[in-house]
Amino acid sequence: MRKNSKSIIVIAAALVGVVTLFFADIQKVYAHHAFGAEFDPNLPLLLKGPLVRVEWINPHTWFHVEVTKPDGTKEVWMVEGGTPNSLLRRGLKRDTLQPGQIVIVDGYQAKDRSKRANGRDVTLADGQKFFMGSSGTGAPYDAPGKEQRK
Amino acid sequence: MIPSVVKSLRVTIPFLMFAAVAGSAWCQAPARPANIPRIAGGKPDFNGIWQAIGSANYDIERHLARPSLMLRKGPHSQIAAVPLLRLGAVGAVPGGMGIVEGGKIPYTAEAQKKREENRANWLDRDPEIKCYLPGVPRATYMPFPFQIIQSQKNFFIAYEFAGAHRDVYFKDPGPAETDSWMGQSVGKWEGDTLVVDVRGMNDQTWFDRSGTHHSAKLHVVERYTMMTPNHIRYEATIEDPDVFTAPWKISLPLYRRMESDARLMDFKCVEFVEELMFGEHRRKPLERP
Amino acid sequence: MRNRWIVSNALVISLAGIGVAADSHRTPDGHPDLSGMYDIATLTPLVRPANVGGRMALTDAEAQAIAKTAAARMESQNKASDPNRAAPPTGGDGSEGAAGNVGGYNTLWVDPGQGAFKIDGKWRTSIIVDPPTGRMPEMTPEARKRAGERARGNRPNRGDAWWIKEGVSPGPFDDPEMRSLAERCLLGFGSSAGPPALSVLYNNVKQIVQTKDTVMILNEMNHDARIVRMNAKHDPADVRRWLGDSVGKWEGDTLVVDTTNFNDTPALFGATRNLHVIERFKRLDDRTLLYRFTVEDPTVWTTSWTGEMVWPVTENRIYEYACHEGNYSFTNILRGARLLEAEALKSMSKK
Repeated sequence: MRKNSKSIIVIAAALVGVVTLFFADIQKVYAHHAFGAEFDPNLPLLLKGPLVRVEWINPHTWFHVEVTKPDGTKEVWMVEGGTPNSLLRRGLKRDTLQPGQIVIVDGYQAKDRSKRANGRDVTLADGQKFFMGSSGTGAPYDAPGKEQRK
Repeated sequence: MIPSVVKSLRVTIPFLMFAAVAGSAWCQAPARPANIPRIAGGKPDFNGIWQAIGSANYDIERHLARPSLMLRKGPHSQIAAVPLLRLGAVGAVPGGMGIVEGGKIPYTAEAQKKREENRANWLDRDPEIKCYLPGVPRATYMPFPFQIIQSQKNFFIAYEFAGAHRDVYFKDPGPAETDSWMGQSVGKWEGDTLVVDVRGMNDQTWFDRSGTHHSAKLHVVERYTMMTPNHIRYEATIEDPDVFTAPWKISLPLYRRMESDARLMDFKCVEFVEELMFGEHRRKPLERP
Repeated sequence: MRNRWIVSNALVISLAGIGVAADSHRTPDGHPDLSGMYDIATLTPLVRPANVGGRMALTDAEAQAIAKTAAARMESQNKASDPNRAAPPTGGDGSEGAAGNVGGYNTLWVDPGQGAFKIDGKWRTSIIVDPPTGRMPEMTPEARKRAGERARGNRPNRGDAWWIKEGVSPGPFDDPEMRSLAERCLLGFGSSAGPPALSVLYNNVKQIVQTKDTVMILNEMNHDARIVRMNAKHDPADVRRWLGDSVGKWEGDTLVVDTTNFNDTPALFGATRNLHVIERFKRLDDRTLLYRFTVEDPTVWTTSWTGEMVWPVTENRIYEYACHEGNYSFTNILRGARLLEAEALKSMSKK
C-alpha cells in the first residue's frame, strides 16, 4: 500500500492496538466463498486485455477478459470480483465498464486449472481502480448522491 | 293491458341475458364491489396468502392435455420422452383454456422457433427445474402460494417458490441499474387497482414450462384488482419488441388461501437441486441417469 | 366521537409540545412504525476485543481513530495500482481469512461499516452486552468438540489436497453438503439474516415492512424475507424452517419477536435446531432503531447471550441477491478439489 502524504493519520500508540483488533472481527473475516477453496496460490498470473463481457451477478461479478497469448492466439479468462450490490449503492452503473475497455488483472488461477482467476487487483490500463468516487479517493458514498445523478 | 306475466318476462329475459354475459366474461369490469376490505387510508386490503389455480404454469396458452412436458414421436402419436416416461400420469400436462387473451402468444417466427426448441429440450432448459427465480409474471401463477404484505407505504410480495420476493416502489427510482431475475417494480394506484410496471428483468426466465422465452427488453404491466374479499383479478400486459410482434395480455383470478393456518412453507429448493447440478463433482459420484 | 377527537388532538398537541411527534412514526393501529430501509454495517465487532480492558465503551478518541483508520484504509486501497505490476508471488500472497492466501478481490467491493456505533452516548466495543465481558459464554462439552472438529478442518490454502496427504476422511470437499451454507447459496454468511441479524462484510441493508398482522424483515443476503406473524402461536414442533418460525407482539413501544423451530442448520454459527432467539426492536429517533437480541441454545452455550446494536436508516435500497442463479464458484471449488485429489494420489502412488 502506498502512503499518501496528504493524509497521514496520527494515532496515539495506545489506540493502535484497539483499532487493529476492531478490524479483526470474526464476522467480517468471512465472505460468501472462501477464495482459499477456489484459487491456487501456486499459480499466480497477470492478465491484460479488453473486456468482452461483464456479468453483474451475485454472489460474484465475473469479468470476461480476452487475453492474447505469446503465439498470437486469443483466449477468454473469467475473473472473479465481488457483489455488484455494494457498487450499485455507490452509484456505479452496469455500463460503467464497457466491452473493449482494457483491464489489467493480477491474481491466481482456479484450482481446477480452468481459465478462471480471482480478481485480486483489477484495474484499468493506467492502473486506476475502475470505480472512483468524485474526490478520487474511492471512499464509500463518495459518489454524487442520487439526487445529483439525475 | 299487458299481462303481468309478460311484464315480468320483459324484465326477466333481459336480466337473464345480462347474467349470462356477465357470468361468462368475469374479467370484464363489473360493478365496483362494495364489500372488499380496505386498509387505513382507503386502499383495498390485499394482505394475505394467495394462489393461482389451473395449468398456467404448465402452459399459458390454450392447450389440450398432453402426455408430458417433453415429447417424442411414438408410432401413432406423441409420447413422453424417455427421461420422463416413468412419471406416467403424474408427468402428464393437464389441459387449460389458457390465460393468454386471444389464445396465442404473438411470437415472431424466429422467436417461435426458439420456443419450440426450448419445449423440445425442456428438461435441460427450464429454469424452474434448477430452482432459479421465476421472474414476472410466472411467479404469480406458480403452483405455490405467495403472501402480500401491504401497508399505506409498502406493497411487498413474498413468494414461497425459491423464496422469491418483490418490493413495489411507489416512487420511481428511474431505470433499473442492473438486470435482475425478479425485475424492478414501480407501482401506482388507479382507483382501486394497483398497477405495477415491471422492467429490468434479465432474459433467463420463461413464462411457463412450455419454452416461452423472452429478452431483457421485457416490459410487464400488471393490474391487481380485488373482485371479492377472497379473489384478485390479475392482469398483465406483456411486450418485448425483440420476440413479440405486438403486446399481448394475460388474465386470471387469484384465490385467497382460506385455511386458518395458511402459511408460506420453506421451498428454498436450492438444496433439492444440488445432486442434479453438482452431483457429478462429488468425490464419489452417485448413480445418475 | 367528538370527545375522543378533542382528547386525542390534545394529546398530539401536548406531546408535540414536549418534542415528541406523536403521529409521524406511528401506524394507524397506534404502534411505532418501524418500516423503512436500514444499513446495519458497523465496525463494532460481535465479540469484545481482548485489549479494551473489558470496557463496554470506547473513548471518543478511540472511536475517531477507528473511523479515520477505516477511511484511510479505503482511500489507500482504492488508489491506482502500478500499471506495470507483475503477477503476485508464487506460493500465495499471505492474505488471511476469506482472502485465502490469494488476495481475494479489491477492497472496493466490500462495505463493512465506517466506524463503531453508539448507544446511550457510548461508543460500543462489542455487540454482545451479556455476558458482561462482551464475550460469548462457555460452550457445552459437545459443542466445544464440534467446534474443535470444524477448526481442525480449516487449513491455510497451499493449493494442495492436504486431506489426501494426511489421510483425513471424509475430506472437506467430498460433497456439496459439506461446504458452508453460504458457499451453497442457501443462507447468507455470518448470520446476515439470522436471526439474530449480524453485521457482515457487505450487503448489510435490511428492509422492514409492517402491518397489524405481519412484520416482514427483508435481508439482502440471501434474498431472505422473514415473516413475523403478530400475536400468533408458534408452528407445531415438526414444522422447521431455515430462518426459524417468528411470532411477534408489542410490549409498549417495543416489538418483541420470538423465533424457534429452526431446522438443523441455522445461520448462526454453531447453533442447532434448539436455537431460540428473542429480538427487540425499538425506535430511538427518526433515523435509528435499537436492535437487541438474546440467543439461547442450551445444547451449545451454557447460558444465553445478549447483544444490542443500532439499525440506522439508509436512503439506499436493497438490490436482488440471486445467489444460486450465479453460483459458478461452487462448481469451481468442487472441480478443483477433485483435480487436486487426483494429483495428490498420483504423486503418492509414484513414491
